[in-house]
Amino acid sequence: MITRQTMTRRRVLKGTAGASALAAAPGFLRHAGAAAPIRIGIPTVVTGGYALLGSQVIRTCKLVKKLTDARGGLLGQPVEFFYQDTQGDPATCVRKCQELVERDNCRILTGVIVSSEAAAMLPKLEEWNAIFISHGNGDGRLTAELFVPRFFRANTSAPMGARALALYLKDAPEKKFIALASDAAWGRSSNTAFEAQIKKVGKEIVDMVYAPVANKDYSPYIIKILQSGAQGCYVALQGDEARAFYSQATQYGLAERVQFFTEIVAQADIKVLGKDAIGLMGSSRYPLTYDIPQNTAFREAFMREYKNEIPDWTDGEMYQALMILFAAIEKAGSTEPGKIAAAMEDLEVTSVKGPVLMRRCDHQGENQGFVVKVARNDKYAEPVGEIVKIYPREVNTPDCRSSSFSK
Amino acid sequence: MTFGFILAQCLSALSQAAILFFIACGLTLIFGIMRIVNFAHGAIFMLGAYVGLTVLAVTGSFLLSLLLAPVAVGGIGMAFEWIFLRHLYGRREGGAYLLLTFGLAIVLSELIRVIWGPQPLASGIPDYLRGIVVILGQPFPLYRLFLIASGIAAAVAIWQFLERTRAGLLIRAVAQNAEMVHALGTDVALVRTGVFGLGCAMAALGGVLAAPLVTAFLGMGTNVVIDAFVIVIIGGMGSFAGSLIGSILVGFVQVLGAYYFQDLALAFMYFLMLIVLVIRPGGLLGKED
Repeated sequence: MITRQTMTRRRVLKGTAGASALAAAPGFLRHAGAAAPIRIGIPTVVTGGYALLGSQVIRTCKLVKKLTDARGGLLGQPVEFFYQDTQGDPATCVRKCQELVERDNCRILTGVIVSSEAAAMLPKLEEWNAIFISHGNGDGRLTAELFVPRFFRANTSAPMGARALALYLKDAPEKKFIALASDAAWGRSSNTAFEAQIKKVGKEIVDMVYAPVANKDYSPYIIKILQSGAQGCYVALQGDEARAFYSQATQYGLAERVQFFTEIVAQADIKVLGKDAIGLMGSSRYPLTYDIPQNTAFREAFMREYKNEIPDWTDGEMYQALMILFAAIEKAGSTEPGKIAAAMEDLEVTSVKGPVLMRRCDHQGENQGFVVKVARNDKYAEPVGEIVKIYPREVNTPDCRSSSFSK
Repeated sequence: MTFGFILAQCLSALSQAAILFFIACGLTLIFGIMRIVNFAHGAIFMLGAYVGLTVLAVTGSFLLSLLLAPVAVGGIGMAFEWIFLRHLYGRREGGAYLLLTFGLAIVLSELIRVIWGPQPLASGIPDYLRGIVVILGQPFPLYRLFLIASGIAAAVAIWQFLERTRAGLLIRAVAQNAEMVHALGTDVALVRTGVFGLGCAMAALGGVLAAPLVTAFLGMGTNVVIDAFVIVIIGGMGSFAGSLIGSILVGFVQVLGAYYFQDLALAFMYFLMLIVLVIRPGGLLGKED
């Protein structure tokens, strides 16, 4: 008896997208076989104010596991992710990492959300015989003053985000800027970098404002921005803080008087703000619409897996960090942390954000700089960041073990 | 610095105070009658925001969400009091209440995550509350004026309810001497259930009103409830008028502190609490135990 399988349109599309994702993936992902799993610890935020970012980390890890295992694993081994809730608290994060290392034998750590959590982990990496690959920690000091050999940053840092924007603003009509940031390590790092960069391109900073972490009422800051006479406002807030600020700024009609430039354009914020987000400009840590095969494959696989949900910057950066990690494991031919660390140095991978070089001197990934503007796009149900300018990675990455740029 | 600018700051502070009042008022009512420090109040505030958004999504009416969300959440609060809390009233130590309400906070947070998911939810402002009013040359959102008006209306309504109605009289009587009221034939348990429900409904109303300012997200009640505890301590535990005064003071300290002394903005609120505790350990209008 012959069973006949009907090729529906959906099935053809699924197969085509799956094949293109596979074809776009680095060669090491296409190995077959199965053995003991490669254990990767994900100490991320499951509960608390940053839980949304943690949920994005987890969903991307689940997607990567599915795609990787379907292709036969890595070094012939399946990938296993172990999740722990750090609650965004540095002390809890260190404790959970200790559990991941000692109980679950995870010597590869990634997925940490808050920069202060990352900073707390760095001194322990040697003792744990572990390596830590940052997917999103922005504090410039992590690869500068706080540098440790077992830490690698695959993502765009806060100084890099500020750099791309400052370069773009060089030719912008706005002359005076005010900078508003969250009073946390990342926010301070971002504001400081923006101030240095914007002054370098001949523009003026009229004030630097810091709002307490998890602030709710932004009216004093909005009044301050209105009073400052600034034409542009640099915003280094994310998550709940960013949404509260933009919601309230819209109610004050601030966007009609001041152009916002944000260090991170986040899809979750755009989704909530809806049409109020249109026109927002900023740096993008993950340029959704970047038209290269690696990104197209990831975007399609993601949207297929999560029912047309648009990947956010955390998803894109997490995916990139894992692709770089997997390339290093393949290059090392081992899951031993020391060997992976050695393989990671000067490793170059073309990922969803284009070519990334994990430079040897401070383990900062050299990423291109993307400036985007939020606009409607017929392909998506909600507005998205459209790329307006791309800066080469050499220009967009700070000096070695530094948060500043001499170029 | 113009008069218009100072007025805009004062209005900002009052709009912030209005949100804080809805939460602190419920908290202090529950403490005043039941001597329970309700650790779940922040989660109830958050639940109010999510239920309100659901009502808004289904009916398209913001006013209906202001009505139905407090009723629904107040009902949940009454059920919780009836099923769990009332079995603990015989105990003298307060640790059981703390644990139980803390547990409720965790359960509610997880339920919200399961029902609505981890993604934040947008809350639009109805067209009739959108826009800016220019006051003495300063732009000010119409929605914030609505918040101030809502806060004043709620304060007057609760004050009248407590002072002019039989139910309010019973609540005040239970707060003063529950055993005597019980001996006179009043169902004290019912009064407690009602007060717990009213406190939860007030917090839920605060959540619905706050959602357009901050959007609805997991954890939105965590910091708000800390502010509410500070207000209750400043105003005096169990004092309705104290919660009103405390809300206004904290609103002003937060807004003016953030504008003029941004690095110390958070510290000012606690500094104010310390001063009040040193001068009047029971709070501004509270009684010393």
